[in-house]
Amino acid sequence: MSEATILTEGLSKSFGTQAAVSNLNLQIQPGAVYGFLGRNGAGKTTTMRMLLGLVRPTKGRMRVLGLDPSLEMELMRILQRVAFVPQRKQLYGWATPAELVRMNKAYFPRWSDEAAAGLAQRLEIPMKTAFKKLSIGNQSKVALLLALAQGAEVLILDEPTAGLDPLMVDEILRTLIEDHVSQGRTIFVSSHHLGEVEQICDWVGILEEGRLLLEARLEEVRQEYRLVIVSGENLPDAPSADVVSATTDGRFRRYVLAREADRFAAGLRSQGASILEISPIGLRELFLHLVRKEAPCTPGNAGAKAAPVSSFS
Amino acid sequence: MYAWKCWRESRARFFFLLIMFTVTALLFTVEPGLEVQNGWWHFDRSEYIDNPLPTVHVVFSMILSVLWCSGFLSAVFLGATAPGSEIEPGTIEYLWTRPRTRTSVTWTHWGVCVAEMAIVAVVPLYLAAALLGTLTRYWDFPYLFIAPWMMVIVGLPVLGLTTLMTALRRSASGGLIYTSGVVLVYAILRQIIIVPLHLNPPTLFTGPLIWLVNDNQFGVTPSAFPWGSLWRAVFLAAAFPLAAQYLLKRAEV
Repeated sequence: MSEATILTEGLSKSFGTQAAVSNLNLQIQPGAVYGFLGRNGAGKTTTMRMLLGLVRPTKGRMRVLGLDPSLEMELMRILQRVAFVPQRKQLYGWATPAELVRMNKAYFPRWSDEAAAGLAQRLEIPMKTAFKKLSIGNQSKVALLLALAQGAEVLILDEPTAGLDPLMVDEILRTLIEDHVSQGRTIFVSSHHLGEVEQICDWVGILEEGRLLLEARLEEVRQEYRLVIVSGENLPDAPSADVVSATTDGRFRRYVLAREADRFAAGLRSQGASILEISPIGLRELFLHLVRKEAPCTPGNAGAKAAPVSSFS
Repeated sequence: MYAWKCWRESRARFFFLLIMFTVTALLFTVEPGLEVQNGWWHFDRSEYIDNPLPTVHVVFSMILSVLWCSGFLSAVFLGATAPGSEIEPGTIEYLWTRPRTRTSVTWTHWGVCVAEMAIVAVVPLYLAAALLGTLTRYWDFPYLFIAPWMMVIVGLPVLGLTTLMTALRRSASGGLIYTSGVVLVYAILRQIIIVPLHLNPPTLFTGPLIWLVNDNQFGVTPSAFPWGSLWRAVFLAAAFPLAAQYLLKRAEV
């Protein structure tokens, strides 16, 4: 396996007594499109900021493109090769998008004027209007333009489509797929729009209260993950390592399984339980099952991949 | 490119200061020749021709007594655009994810501000001197070549203080208010100590400027140059931005 583009090991960040990220192990391979999901305040933005040196980790280690963001000189080399779209897309209010493009291109040797001009046209950005006079949607588009034309090897996008209309969201996603995914660039994207994530991502990670509940290939989720609804007495909480989550809903218990759902159901049936349903589970349902607070029986990470073998040594 | 951004962001303040001090200096220069005749302003050059030496001294002293604050004001208003001021509005995320070190960003801004401060100090004074020389045909101005640089040197600690305060307060307005507050509190405390105790402690870093303004009074015997104050100014001019640089390097956003 080639060296991971983004690698974290036991990464933690606390603000006072509040843990924002706890013991996070991520391993994002080159060329992966990784959807980072979680509720508001789950720790997605803090994780991204740590990877870009905006926030220092309390504990743990991280590498981006094999470099350590906590060392200034290595961070500079990371920033030359990584494009970032922050959650709060705030740029200089007095500057027009054309001025921002001129300013930005001076920082990046691989900047593409052609890509910038193409994006400005496709996203219908008014290039001569001051940034502060643009609508929120247009401000987001400018931030995306600056990141996408940078010619970066890695894109870190924190809710990139927030504030955009569906047409523009579609345009952005198509641009990402055509210009970036197809060229084998790595994309690490956080979003609340699960449909978008399903459209472009091949990996998903679900974060809750700073902990990674699940990391899986999206294809695997589609093909192997199953929702099993069971009715019966004295049902086990997490009877198998394949159980991703188990929740109680009145007389029923819902299990989400990462694999071997039929064998799991057969085992419960032999204990006298009634299997009401075994069905494929979509990303949205999976997400809701994992992060929903009502009567959880498992922490929801039983089916998560094992922590990656250390690549730091 | 960051230097261009600093210039673009501060140029309105820069032009305002430049125009304000230039107009003031030129008004002081022509003031001895202005008189009202039949309800209209008239300019009479005879004062400049008849008494060139005292006129030059008086006018130049008046100009210096007003322009001495140009270094301070430029430092506060231009310094308030320092990198720390970008934290509150949120543009810092953009700035700090460009491949430039926080140290280089801090000192680039400092360099642009010093250049602007120098222009604000030099241009009004030299324009006024040129006009005064033309009117009097007398070109021997006392301390003309060192005067603007004294203003800049004495302004540098204030520029550094403003850079530090914007980093501490994380906003332009915070930096401006806190710098003004620190300077004001220092001045008040100094007066509280000096007046009742009849003390005459050396000035912290404004000595060269006081020396310049006082020694240009016509007929005053020049006093010794306050080297101690100058070195303190140089020390503070370096110490404050270094402290700001340290804070910004460790800042989380």
